[in-house]
Amino acid sequence: MSEQHHHPNYKKIYITLVILLAISVAGPHLGIVWLTLITAFGIALVKANLVVQNFMHLRWEKRIMKWMLATSLILMFLFFAGVSPDVMHHTGHQWVNQAALAATARGIEPLHEAEVAEAAAAEAPAATTETAAAPAQQAFDAKGQFQTVCATCHGTTGEGNGPGAAALDPKPANFTDPAFWKDKTDDVLIKAIREGGASVGKSPLMPAWGALYDQAKAEALLAYIKTLKKG
Amino acid sequence: MAQTHEHGAHADHGPQGILKYIWSTDHKIIAMQYLFTGMFMAMVGGFMAYVFRMQLAFPGTSVPLYGVVSPAEYNALITNHGSIMIFWVAMPVLIAAFGNFCIPLMIGADDMVFPRINRLSYQVFLLSVLVVLASLFVPGGGFGGAWTSYPPLSANSAYNLTRLGASMWLTAVALEFVAFLLGGINFITTLMNSRAPGMKAYDIPMTPWMIVIASIVFMLSVGPLIAGAIMLLFDQNLGTGFFDPNRGGDPILWQHLFWFFGHPEVYVVLFPAIGMVIDIIATFARKKLFGYKIILYTAVATAVLSFFVWAHHQFIAGIDPRMANIFTVTTLLISVPIAEMLFVSIATLYGGSIHLTTPMLWALAFIGEFLIGGVTGIFLGASGADVYLHDTYFVLAHFHYTFFPIAIIGTFAAFTYWFPKMFGKMMDDRLGKIHFWGTVIPFNVIFIPLFVLGLGGQHRRIYNFQNFPELQHMQPLRILATGALIVMLFFQIFFFWNVIKSWISGPKAPKNPWKANTLEWTADSPPPHGNWPPDQLPKVYRGPYEYGHPDAPEGMDYWPQNLPPQNQPARG
Amino acid sequence: MQKPIATTRSATGIPTGRLAVWWVLASEVVIFGGLLASYVMHRLGHPEWANAAAGTNTWIGAFNTFVLLSSSFTAVLAHQAAEHGDGKQAARYLFMTIGGAATFILVKSAEWTHEIREGFTITANGFWSFYYTAAGLHAMHVIAGAIVMAFVARDAARGRELQRVELIGIYWHFVDVVWIFLFPLLYIAK
Repeated sequence: MSEQHHHPNYKKIYITLVILLAISVAGPHLGIVWLTLITAFGIALVKANLVVQNFMHLRWEKRIMKWMLATSLILMFLFFAGVSPDVMHHTGHQWVNQAALAATARGIEPLHEAEVAEAAAAEAPAATTETAAAPAQQAFDAKGQFQTVCATCHGTTGEGNGPGAAALDPKPANFTDPAFWKDKTDDVLIKAIREGGASVGKSPLMPAWGALYDQAKAEALLAYIKTLKKG
Repeated sequence: MAQTHEHGAHADHGPQGILKYIWSTDHKIIAMQYLFTGMFMAMVGGFMAYVFRMQLAFPGTSVPLYGVVSPAEYNALITNHGSIMIFWVAMPVLIAAFGNFCIPLMIGADDMVFPRINRLSYQVFLLSVLVVLASLFVPGGGFGGAWTSYPPLSANSAYNLTRLGASMWLTAVALEFVAFLLGGINFITTLMNSRAPGMKAYDIPMTPWMIVIASIVFMLSVGPLIAGAIMLLFDQNLGTGFFDPNRGGDPILWQHLFWFFGHPEVYVVLFPAIGMVIDIIATFARKKLFGYKIILYTAVATAVLSFFVWAHHQFIAGIDPRMANIFTVTTLLISVPIAEMLFVSIATLYGGSIHLTTPMLWALAFIGEFLIGGVTGIFLGASGADVYLHDTYFVLAHFHYTFFPIAIIGTFAAFTYWFPKMFGKMMDDRLGKIHFWGTVIPFNVIFIPLFVLGLGGQHRRIYNFQNFPELQHMQPLRILATGALIVMLFFQIFFFWNVIKSWISGPKAPKNPWKANTLEWTADSPPPHGNWPPDQLPKVYRGPYEYGHPDAPEGMDYWPQNLPPQNQPARG
Repeated sequence: MQKPIATTRSATGIPTGRLAVWWVLASEVVIFGGLLASYVMHRLGHPEWANAAAGTNTWIGAFNTFVLLSSSFTAVLAHQAAEHGDGKQAARYLFMTIGGAATFILVKSAEWTHEIREGFTITANGFWSFYYTAAGLHAMHVIAGAIVMAFVARDAARGRELQRVELIGIYWHFVDVVWIFLFPLLYIAK
């Protein structure tokens, strides 16, 4: 066979692979998200490349096979590109995938609450010691619910700038703006939360969350949202 | 080392007796296994069409040879008709049967490169046949969720009411995929590596080329759907929620997984058919193929483009409209290379010496009928028009005007062309022509009314249109279509009669009855195990379409690939 | 069965067996690619799955990754031995590789048993559904590969069909590469 002289130093490559594995395992312990992603997936790419080129000898293989394997990979990216706009996102120009958002809400328990609280404290306005009707942590975590359910559109600070807001027109309400609160009674706001935006003459893109929040929960939620008001 | 005994003496190595036909690894026998299984399944699928068309024409009445059709049965019939015709007729006949038979012979090889894997692929395929047929008889009945099997209907037995049938159907499809992956690898490797000495890439005839291109497209597109089938099987049987929106899943994901395969799949069946039609046209026009490289490159271009059009099946499913725009453009684009292939075929005919044998009639019919199918696809590819036309009988007529030429007309073209080589006898040309006209004319009478019905707003997958008063006035068209189907089915008797009569007592076929150039016509009719004596495997000196060449031997309007050039010694 | 002349030809210059294995890999790339692409789409769209993903044990995953990497190492050493005509040594290395496969499966069985006892079943939530499906499909390929490898090793020990050592090795490396991507996807990206 013609590859008799195409044997790289397998031991060296193996040791490299193991070292890379160790780095990728250590990565998350540094706690920096983007670094973890690089160590985890970047290293995976490097390791895979080492195995494919050297162990599978693709480096010395005829070009046609390299093209063919590259084609199958590219097709996978094409598949991802074509499908992810539908499957990955839960809001669009004209639609909101309520079932998915509700599943998201049910799925996240307040395990990450500490991180969420830090982030909120860092960005949210200081003061308002009168967090009136502070949400009963055990019974119903209004702040946690807001961060996971509402923040997608309304933003973690309530400014109406969440990731889902980019696609929405009109933009979601900005709770930090005093002008928003001027002419609205609690009843109207709770109705908007529970029965959707259209029920109070606002955008129908605000879903009805009544299935998730009964009257008491909606009141607790509203109380939390009021704490986001600036000034 | 063990591989020291000679490569000769093939005749001693095949199994004997009845085992020869069941356990053989000879590519020709495996081809026959696929061919007869596929033709049997065509009868099953055709019978299903007969039953549901009778229900549509005479709703609620008892269908002769079947009985009254319930709504659930109707759904099972249309689902299995579609699935069977695509997966268990078109693919095994066009790709597996003709691929297995023609590829080694046309490239001058003694067999496929992996004969035992070849045998295994048929066995897996046969298993898939048994599973899908069994699925029709289990409690609950056959799966009725359409060949596209969209969840949540297909995932949740509380909706589809066919718990066993649904899983068996899906398992059968998955097994069929595995069989064709195994077979496809064999075909691709054989074509790439085992060509006769002197056969360069551009000397390969279109039939093997197209079958291999089809196998590659199949292999690259089926992966995500296999993943999806596993996910759906788990949803059906383990209670996972891959496609359940209430559990964080997404039914649209299934649609994408399915159509990412489903669209290239239609080209997977188109390529072999058009390849065989092209070979037949060149032979019976006695003329060199107009643009060999053009056809090859446009076929590759079509294959590549076919991966970029899939979401045109989902225009109204709620996909991102920006995606819909992109897919409209690519879909309209793909009509260009396919039209190109048809133009090259027509250009080959121009100025040729046309012999209207039965195979040639079928090949010409393919061109004409597929053309109609192709242009009607343009209406559907434009997402705006598709908003109205989606899921109507317009779609159904469109894809029958493409699938029928591919799976039925193409098959009959190939079968009547290679019958002498396969069975050593000549078919009766007169019976062949009766069968031809009795099939093609009724075919049009079935499906042209369906275009009209579709434009009139009639939707698919509905078992009784009497429930739609606004569609009642079109009932005569439904009856007309059903009547034409029965006429067409009747004329198939001529085909079976021809096959049996010719096989038993037809005139003995010479090696090269059509005076064609390609290598299979240099072997005996039928070829023995090993195709040629081991020391006489052909060598190739020219391309496959040298008809009417001035340098050909005296008096011959064709120039077989394996004839050494005159005035030169045979290649050593 | 006698090998056909067709199998010994090589118009491309690539030995037929190796050519076929590459095509098998191409088909596997799209199968796993489809599954993993679907997983990634769902995972990115469901940040709450991070809770579930926290339940995987990174150390076990890392150990299994190490096992597979090592088994790839022994597989390529087997190839080298086969190249030098030493079928017995190649077989020894292949059996080591099979040992690695067995270790991988044993560890995974223990891992899954533990996870199922904790309530992380395949229906627990979307993350776990994908976890078991993807890792399970991979594990099936490990088992199938190990079985084929045993046959190749048996032949190699007798000095027969040594070219197949390289072929099963290429398949084996692919199985390793899939896991190289599964590991960060399922264990690290939490």
